[in-house]
Amino acid sequence: MVAAKKTKKTHESINNRLALVMKSGKYTLGYKTVLKSLRNSKGKLIIIANNCPPLRKSEIEYYAMLAKVGVHHYNGNNVDLGTACGKYFRVCCLSIIDPGDSDIIKTMPSEQ
Amino acid sequence: MVKFLKPNKAVILLQGRYAGRKAVILRNFDDGTRDRPYGHCLVAGIKKYPSKVIKKDSAKKTAKKSRVKAFVKLVNYQHLMPTRYTLDVDLKEVATIDALQSKDKKVTALKETKKRFEERFKTGKNRWFFTKLRF
Repeated sequence: MVAAKKTKKTHESINNRLALVMKSGKYTLGYKTVLKSLRNSKGKLIIIANNCPPLRKSEIEYYAMLAKVGVHHYNGNNVDLGTACGKYFRVCCLSIIDPGDSDIIKTMPSEQ
Repeated sequence: MVKFLKPNKAVILLQGRYAGRKAVILRNFDDGTRDRPYGHCLVAGIKKYPSKVIKKDSAKKTAKKSRVKAFVKLVNYQHLMPTRYTLDVDLKEVATIDALQSKDKKVTALKETKKRFEERFKTGKNRWFFTKLRF
């Protein structure tokens, strides 16, 4: 297995960084707004849950490829991603527009 | 973080009568206008694709098979699928927004667009753009 196993420690760090973005930065949740943020080139990082439908996942990845924006595949489903965002609903994909105090954009794409 | 909905980008229309057709962006209106308060763009696309030309065809048949029917339309960004392809045709002064205002202006704009598309098809470049999307 050459692919690195997602350890618990890195998973927690993503959650911490995401919590900091929720507190101090700007973000949008949901497929429609993610595409909007990619079209007007405001999105800086896209996070997709692991149970996102494959067609929707490929579409978001294609848009992100055109916009040269990083995509992070979150190690958890939409329920977990919603909880990580501190919300009481499911979140399948989210776009970080302004990371605020977090360093999520500098550290996440390098781990990919 | 790179803007990709720019002029000369090839896109596929997703909704409307021309759903599934390929088009090229001519002009963007990222912030919308008063009539259309959303991001939209002027596209010129292919209404009827040219059919497959084979070596056996006579010159008359080749000419008939290489005909392209075009359309010009203002489309919401949400109803487009951008692609990684571009099409470098100079249609800026041919297909303008005021060409969409009256019927005869539209007819002349479409005739000129059709001509430019046909001559681009005959050179054999941008082959992806002139093949029908199968779905």
